[in-house]
Amino acid sequence: MTSTLRLYLTCIRNTLEAAMCLQNFPCQEVERHNKPEVELKTSPELLLNPVLICRNEAEKCLIETSINSLRISLKVKQADELENILTKKFLRFLSMRAEAFQVLRRKPVQGYDISFLITNYHCEDMQKHKLIDFIVQFMEDIDKEISELKMSVNTRGRLVATEFLKQFI
Amino acid sequence: MVVMAVHQFAQCITCHAWSADQSMVALCPNSNEVHIYRLVEDKWEKVYVLQKHDQVISGIDWSARSNRIVTASHDRNSYVWNLEESEWVPTLVILRLNRAALCVQWSPKENKFAVGSGAKTICICYYEQENNWWVSKLIRKRHESSVTSVSWHPDNILLATTSTDGKCRVFSTLIKGVDAKDSKKGTSSDSKFGELIVQLDLSSSWTFGVKWSPSGNTLAYVGHNSMIYFVDDVGPSPLAQNVVFRDLPLRDVLFVSERKVIGVGFDCNPMVFAADERGIWSFVRYLGERKAVSSGSRYGSQFSEAFGKFYGQSKLGVNNDAVETSRTRGTVHENCINCIMPLGDHDTMIRRFSTSGLDGRIVVWDLENEQDLLE
Repeated sequence: MTSTLRLYLTCIRNTLEAAMCLQNFPCQEVERHNKPEVELKTSPELLLNPVLICRNEAEKCLIETSINSLRISLKVKQADELENILTKKFLRFLSMRAEAFQVLRRKPVQGYDISFLITNYHCEDMQKHKLIDFIVQFMEDIDKEISELKMSVNTRGRLVATEFLKQFI
Repeated sequence: MVVMAVHQFAQCITCHAWSADQSMVALCPNSNEVHIYRLVEDKWEKVYVLQKHDQVISGIDWSARSNRIVTASHDRNSYVWNLEESEWVPTLVILRLNRAALCVQWSPKENKFAVGSGAKTICICYYEQENNWWVSKLIRKRHESSVTSVSWHPDNILLATTSTDGKCRVFSTLIKGVDAKDSKKGTSSDSKFGELIVQLDLSSSWTFGVKWSPSGNTLAYVGHNSMIYFVDDVGPSPLAQNVVFRDLPLRDVLFVSERKVIGVGFDCNPMVFAADERGIWSFVRYLGERKAVSSGSRYGSQFSEAFGKFYGQSKLGVNNDAVETSRTRGTVHENCINCIMPLGDHDTMIRRFSTSGLDGRIVVWDLENEQDLLE
């Protein structure tokens, strides 16, 4: 892992550590409701300032916090069209199975590739440091996964082309 | 030892309260029930389950002299429970709220209680003999957001509140017919019900956990920006002090004496704040000691190193050059502490207190052997 990636992830980890101070908070606007305030945004005083952490233009992380929920949106590096299409397909595959991940949001926030939504209920069931570890681990793995996919697509392409062109020899 | 006892009661505790003799504890296991445990031969046994609410209970208070429990819940209701022949009998309180009730506290004389709510109001409830029910008087306006915490002044009239609009307010709650006219303090008796005595706009973020000192001279509350505020001379010209600390924000505070405060919160470890001779408040230290976390230890035999490596893998993931994982907290509580209650005789200096948190534990702390904290 390069040192810039490490710095980027450490920065995200520390920000999450400070941001993940959530509590049970019933809705002020609607009777008997209890909804993530970061999604509803009905009461501006219950939202904190969002934090944007950028490694470069292509890779960034937006952390939005409210009194009872926290939203993390990631933009994954996409160097070329192949990476673009692989990222899209891969993250779509994950988002469609959002229930299995609990903290994954079904749809990413606009301008980002994937979003997580952590509420106070997640903090009650799960340990905070494990949750943060999961997010950081995910970010670490996603780049690796995409480049591996890219490599296998390229290898396969080369193989298929070789096989196909053999008949013309 | 600072920690006297640790009990795992549930997966998660929202709030707890003790009976007057501390033989019983009432707690809410993050559900719509209140469980009452009694200490029987060194073991806690569940003796009562109070079921009446239909949403999570946000506040419990147990009155010491009249032995009544008041509960407040997100379902907008509040009940007063009376022990009648080994059965807790609920009485519904007509709060007239249309949002969740968030916190509750008995007044020092136990003839009133205050409920803070998500409807941006506070309800002052008192018992009406002729109708045989608890009626509430609302303090509307003033609050611009949910009321997160309420605290009674020892004089039974003044009430301090904190809110998510970042302000701390002090109200007069004089109710004719309930509060005797001949209060010693002339100033507070003159004010009408619901009059705003002072509004403190010190915090830039949400405020929680307001408490009066035992004498009622000092007010302490916390902000979500990792600050704690101390206010002396509450009145027309209050004197305020801010103390910034470097760790995660607090949720609740407790005065153990006039010049010493324990704060609990997201850092899972109680913090001690104290005032010096000049009355300047500062952070003293953490109450619970952090144990060294094994994964980080470099010393030791080869075996422990291998053990650490083996252990680390499940936590660290596969590659060793990963970003260091967040420290596992070596503290007694493993999740946010959101409730702190005094134990023992309330008139003298508080030596013992209990904390409960989202990890489902109730921890009893004792300051007896902490020489540096007892002066």
